[in-house]
Amino acid sequence: MIRHLFKLIWNRKRSNFLLMTEIFFCFLVLFAVLSLVVYNVRNYNKPLGFEHEHVWLLTMRPDTDSTSLNRQTLEQILQRAKGFQEIESVALTSSNAPFAFSQMSNNITYGQKKVEANQYEVQDDFDMVMRVKVSKGRWFGPADNASHHDPIVINQALKQQLFGEEEAVGKLIPLNDSTNYQVVGVTDYFRAGSEFEAEQPSFFSRINLQEDPNAFWNEVLIRVKPGMGVAFEEKMVKEFAGTAKGWAMEVATLEKMRQNKAKMAKVPLIALGIICGFLIFNVALGLFGVLWYNISRRNSEIGLRRALGASSGQVYRQFIGEVLVLATFGLLLGVAFAVQFPLLQVFQVESGVYFIALGIAVATIYLLVVGCAFYPSRQAAAIHPAMALHEE
Amino acid sequence: MITLKNIEKVYQTKTIETVALHNVNLHIPQGEFVSIMGPSGCGKSTLLNIMGLLDEPTDGLVEIAGTPIGRYKDKELAQLRNQKIGFVFQSYHLINDLSVLDNVELPLLYRNGVSAAETRRLALTALEKVGLSARTKHYPSQLSGGQRQRVAIARALIGQPEIILADEPTGNLDSVMGEEIMNILLQLNKTDGTTIVMVTHDENMAHKTERLIRFFDGQQVSDAKTNAYEFQKV
Repeated sequence: MIRHLFKLIWNRKRSNFLLMTEIFFCFLVLFAVLSLVVYNVRNYNKPLGFEHEHVWLLTMRPDTDSTSLNRQTLEQILQRAKGFQEIESVALTSSNAPFAFSQMSNNITYGQKKVEANQYEVQDDFDMVMRVKVSKGRWFGPADNASHHDPIVINQALKQQLFGEEEAVGKLIPLNDSTNYQVVGVTDYFRAGSEFEAEQPSFFSRINLQEDPNAFWNEVLIRVKPGMGVAFEEKMVKEFAGTAKGWAMEVATLEKMRQNKAKMAKVPLIALGIICGFLIFNVALGLFGVLWYNISRRNSEIGLRRALGASSGQVYRQFIGEVLVLATFGLLLGVAFAVQFPLLQVFQVESGVYFIALGIAVATIYLLVVGCAFYPSRQAAAIHPAMALHEE
Repeated sequence: MITLKNIEKVYQTKTIETVALHNVNLHIPQGEFVSIMGPSGCGKSTLLNIMGLLDEPTDGLVEIAGTPIGRYKDKELAQLRNQKIGFVFQSYHLINDLSVLDNVELPLLYRNGVSAAETRRLALTALEKVGLSARTKHYPSQLSGGQRQRVAIARALIGQPEIILADEPTGNLDSVMGEEIMNILLQLNKTDGTTIVMVTHDENMAHKTERLIRFFDGQQVSDAKTNAYEFQKV
C-alpha cells in the first residue's frame, strides 16, 4: 500500500506541486525559527557560571576631571561600602559587568593561535561578589602583587581554543613586549552577556588599584545580604553621595538587568514565532481546503475503492497516508536544504541545535498535515460507496 | 450463489419516500449469466448495489455464496466484496493517474497475504485474458472506450471472484466494442464458470445471456431463460 501511495502521489506530482512547495517553505521557516528557539533554550539551560541574585551594580559619574581626586573618592566609596554590615562583598568592574549592554574584547595570542575573547577587568573580590567557581587553579588576589606577570583567570571555552587538552594553569600569554598574562585559574562557565547567549571565550584580568594610581573604574558590583531592598539602597546611595559630592549615582540590580537582557533576546523570538505561527496557520488552512476539495473531487475513486474491497478504515488511512507521503516529498527537499547548515557549520552553531530543530520541524509538519487531513479523511471514509459510484 | 429474499429498498428524505425495490425474490445459481433489464429508475442499479454489498436493503435477506449477509460490519463486507465479487461499471471507473497495470492490481491491495510479485503476475494474467498485454504501461487516457472497459474487466478478474456484477458494461461503447466486451464476459462465464449479473439496456446483449429478468417500478416483472445463450452453450 505504501508503494501504491508513493506511486499515486508521484503520478499526481503536477497537481500536488503547489502543496509540496508550500510544505517545503513552511518547513524551512519552521526550521529557522526552531533552530533559534533550540539555540536559546539550550543556552538557557546551561550554567551561567555565577550567581546574580542579591548583586547590585553601582554606576558612578564623577563631576570633575581631576583623576587623582576622583580616584581618591572612589577608594573612599569602596571603603564605605565594605563598612556596611548589609554588604557581603564589593568589587570594581569594567563596564561590561554581567548583563550590561556593553562588551569589551581583546585578541589573545598563544603560539600560532589567536582568539578573540571577552575581557572582564575585575577586582580581587569579584569571585566572591559573583560567586564564580574556579575549577582549576585559583582566583587572583594580593599574592599576585609580587608576580612579574599579570594574572588572568580564563573560562573553559578560551582554554579549549588556546590549549586544547593541555594544562592551562601556569601558561604565559604575551600581552605586549614586556608583559605576559599568566593563567592562574580556569572557570568552567562564564556567560555574562545573557542567559540566551552561548558560552564565548572569556578571561578575567585583575584591577590592581595600587599598580596604577590614576586609573579609574566607575562601576562597582555589590553583593548585599539577602532581604536588602530599596530602603538600604537609598541609605547606601545617600552615604556614598555624602562622600562623593556632586557625583551622579545609579544602582541597578543584576536581576533587573537580567530581565532586560532576556527581553532583548525574547523579542525577536516572539516576533519570528508569530510570523511562523501565521504561516503555519495559512498552510494549515490551505492544506485543509485542498484536501477537502480533493476528496469531493475523488468521490467516484472512493466509491470504486470501497467496491473493490476497501473498508471505510482503509479509505481513511489511505487519505491520511497520501497526505503523509505528500508531506514527505516536500520535507525531503526541505531536509536536504536544512541539513547543509550543520554540515557547513553555518553561523558557528553546534550541529546538535540544527539536528534537534530539524527533528522537531519534521515532526511538527507531519502532525500539522495529519491534523489537517483528519477531518476530510473521516469525511472520505464516511462516503457511501453506492452513492459515490452513482455520482459519476 | 446469490439469493435475495423479500428485498425492499426505500429511499427516504424529509419530504419524500421513494420505493426503489419492492418484494424482490431472486436466486441466481453458480455459473449463471443473468441480465437485468428495465427502464431508467426502475431499480436495476439499486439491485446490483445490494447484490454487491455496496448498499443495504431496507428489508429482506441477501445471501452470497450461501452466507446470509445480516449484520456484517463494514470491514467484513469489504472483505467479502474483495474476495467474492468483481465489479464492472458503465463508466469504467479507472484511476487516471495509475497505469493500466496499477489499475488492475488495485483489488489485491486490499487483500492480505498477496505479495507484490504475485499481484503483478495475476494482473498480467488478467490483462492477457482481456487481450491487453501490450498496454500494461499505458494510462487510461491513452486507451479507447473498449480498451478501458477491458481494463475494468481485468481488474474485476484479478481477485478471481465467483461473481461479477456488471452495470451497463457496454452502455458507453459502440456496437463493435460492445460486442467485444460481451464476448469477453461470455467467455469468462463459459470457461471459468463465473456467475455474472449484468444490467443492460441493450436487448441484443441481454439475449446473449442465459437468463433475462425484467424490472419495472422496482418490481420484478419477468424472469425467463433465453434461447440464444442455450444455443451458444451447446
